[in-house]
Amino acid sequence: MSTNAVNSDTDVHLLPCLDDNIAMIQSALGGSPDLIVKGFKWGDQWRAALLFIDGMVDATQMHEMIVEPLLSLRKDDVPFEPSPGIDALHALKDHVLSAANVSVVDQPALLFNSMFSGDAVLLLDGSASALRIDVFGIEERPVGEPITQSVIRGPMEAFTENYRKNVVLIRRRIKDPNLWIESRLIGKVTKTQVGIMYLRNVADDKIVQEVRQRLDRIDIDGILESGYIEELIQDRTITPFPTLNNSERPDAVAAALLEGRVAIVVDGTPFVLTVPGLFVHFFQSVEDYYQRADIGTLLRVIRFISFFIAMLAPSFYIAVSTFHQEMLPTGLLINLAAQREGVPFPAFIEALLMEVTYEILREAGVRMPRTVGQAVSIVGTLVIGQAAVDAGIVSAAMVIIVSITAIASYVIPTANMSITVRMIRFVLMGLSASFGMYGMLIGIIGMVVHLCTLRSFGVPYMLPFGPFVMSDQKDTLFRLPWSRMIMRPSLMNHENPRRQRKKPAASKGE
Amino acid sequence: MNTLGIQLGTAIDKKDGQYQVAVQVVDPAEVASKSKGGSKRVPVTMYHATAPTIFEAYRKLTTTSPRKIYASHIRVLVLGESLARDGIAKVLDLLWRDTELRTDFYIMVANGTEAKNVLKILTPLEDIPATKLYKSLDTSSKAWAVTNPFTMDQLIEQLVSEGRNPVLTGIRIIGDQEKGEKQSNVESIDPATQLKFSKLAVFREDRLIGWLNEEESKGYNYIMGNVKSTVGHVSCPDGGYLDLEGIYFDTEVKGNVKNGEPVIEVKMKTLGNIADVECDINVEDVKTIEWLEDEEEKKLTMLMRKSVEVVQKKFKVDAFGFGEAIYRSNPKAWKKLKPDWEERFSRLKVNISVDARIQGTGTVTNSILGDVRE
Repeated sequence: MSTNAVNSDTDVHLLPCLDDNIAMIQSALGGSPDLIVKGFKWGDQWRAALLFIDGMVDATQMHEMIVEPLLSLRKDDVPFEPSPGIDALHALKDHVLSAANVSVVDQPALLFNSMFSGDAVLLLDGSASALRIDVFGIEERPVGEPITQSVIRGPMEAFTENYRKNVVLIRRRIKDPNLWIESRLIGKVTKTQVGIMYLRNVADDKIVQEVRQRLDRIDIDGILESGYIEELIQDRTITPFPTLNNSERPDAVAAALLEGRVAIVVDGTPFVLTVPGLFVHFFQSVEDYYQRADIGTLLRVIRFISFFIAMLAPSFYIAVSTFHQEMLPTGLLINLAAQREGVPFPAFIEALLMEVTYEILREAGVRMPRTVGQAVSIVGTLVIGQAAVDAGIVSAAMVIIVSITAIASYVIPTANMSITVRMIRFVLMGLSASFGMYGMLIGIIGMVVHLCTLRSFGVPYMLPFGPFVMSDQKDTLFRLPWSRMIMRPSLMNHENPRRQRKKPAASKGE
Repeated sequence: MNTLGIQLGTAIDKKDGQYQVAVQVVDPAEVASKSKGGSKRVPVTMYHATAPTIFEAYRKLTTTSPRKIYASHIRVLVLGESLARDGIAKVLDLLWRDTELRTDFYIMVANGTEAKNVLKILTPLEDIPATKLYKSLDTSSKAWAVTNPFTMDQLIEQLVSEGRNPVLTGIRIIGDQEKGEKQSNVESIDPATQLKFSKLAVFREDRLIGWLNEEESKGYNYIMGNVKSTVGHVSCPDGGYLDLEGIYFDTEVKGNVKNGEPVIEVKMKTLGNIADVECDINVEDVKTIEWLEDEEEKKLTMLMRKSVEVVQKKFKVDAFGFGEAIYRSNPKAWKKLKPDWEERFSRLKVNISVDARIQGTGTVTNSILGDVRE
């Protein structure tokens, strides 16, 4: 656990005197009552103290692994020269303490860090070092079902707020020594543990190196969620499009690792980042691969269609109803005109009104206390939807457009892409209200140009569409059967591109 | 969208040297599906204006209409008979030039009345009279073969191509004009006043010169290959009729020049089904079928010949595009023929041959008539 973030106060050292050390630690914490200091004598004579943060350690473990062995150690049983000092620490670590994860610490900074991560710290009188012993035991949320990325078929496990559990959930799926993890502490104050995970022989070294560099460049006081990391290491800040993917599903992250992507696990959040995050990745759901290929393809095509509906439906309606009435079949035009009869606003204002109302309702739905949920939904649907139409403020057609737009935006499996779409929608609405279909197309062209300039960790964002890579088309708009996906996506793996060793023998006689 | 007056039908007449433009504008609230039934307004309204040119008249409409007249969705253009006799090309220019208009609306000529009056008649089933005219023309041309649905672009094409003259469908008002303008017209089961397509208007260049009756119209459409499906009867040997439903028609018009004399070959192939047997005849017999095929061939030939003769003798104008057929097969000869083509056309030799085949007899074979009588 090496890091530069904790070296801030290297000038302070532990002293060979137990009381001084305890006093130093206590004063550094401002006498916080949650620091427990338990002094005792081991080997019948030597003074020692066990320090830990109340509630962060597992009391049973600590008792069995530290306190019990030390207290039951008789003077004659001490298996080494009883000269307290650094050697005693090593000897205790090697011969007495039964805990698995024990190490010697010299610097107070590391010592604090250990304590706040749920370690117990053992100080010996006469020793200028300390032992940190892992007896982590914070009450944590158990592994639960994914809330934001649910599936019909597939594992029902989601990441938790615990870094270790999250790493385990991934490790459990990829039992290979090549799954490498690098850990570092980021955040000068929060000292959050951040892990880089990748399959050594699959992931592109350049990307891994890039991730390392970008993480090391971070200089911030606190990391509370992977969103901090995402924003600090993304290629370009000024873009509505996400260039890092996140998932709370271990299976999704494992799949990304197998494709040669790199995962960034951040302690304290169930959302694990995967990089590079390309445009198509945001339309892939794990379920595409758990259902048969034809079903997966259908689902994916529906998702891309929904993407366009969510982005374009209101602006298309505005353009057609304000500028291009000739595009509508006569019957439909008369019908729409009849609905708009008496509506006091132009189509754009009408659309804006409904879209903004919907966005407010949506935000309220996410933020409000569960108990008032029903009241809000009744007011939302009845008052805004039905009453607005009956009152003649908006036309029924507009309500339909806004509704289909809203529903379509939830078909996109990643929340951040769906937010992007909602932002772009408003821009396109303004353009179509001003310049009609022409404006809308200009907006789309601008968006496509922007998309093509984006990169995610050096990989072109629109890969495999632009640049076009034929062999990678198998898992983009369509999801071909596994028997056709012999190779990994070519973008990131050069060393080990084969997913399946050989083409499976064609099954005959079926 | 609710600042537009959606115009579905246009009628243009000529009065005292000026153009009278009348537009039928839809009242969307009255037409839309779930009209709340409160107001009893008519589904469409009409604005009209008179001016020396059509575009002026169009713009002048805004002095009576609260909304800008939006012409993209025009379904039918009704031309007054007097206007048609005067020449339609000038009228078409604006409609052809303007960017707002599509070219897929039907053009018809008011027969025996002003064009404006046609658009004043209220129609049942289709609330909007212009839509009723459009659909009625569409359906009748597909199933009855005496109408000739010409859209704007087709008409222009006919006007500008060599050796060809346009033919438009006529629209008549059946019944009393005044009664037809009232809402009560659509409140009875059998409306007092109706709009009916009948006759074809024959043009010389862009001027109306006369009308073909129903039989002649049918013959005309057979030659032009406009027929998709129709019904015709054959007289049985022992009295009574038998109906044949034509389900496939293919007409080929070929022009030839033999010894400097133009000759036209009209070859028609048709497939039909026996649709209605109202006489004592054994349709299970192959010989009967052959006889029927012969009869059908004779009848169709006769129809077409009559049509050709009427046009040749009465109107002396090449409504069939025979000149174009000759031009296509022999452009050099056409150049020589062109100057006095009208005169040549009236004595042009037209060979008509029909190959009729009967495919089936419907869901039964012999008529139940024989059994009923016994």
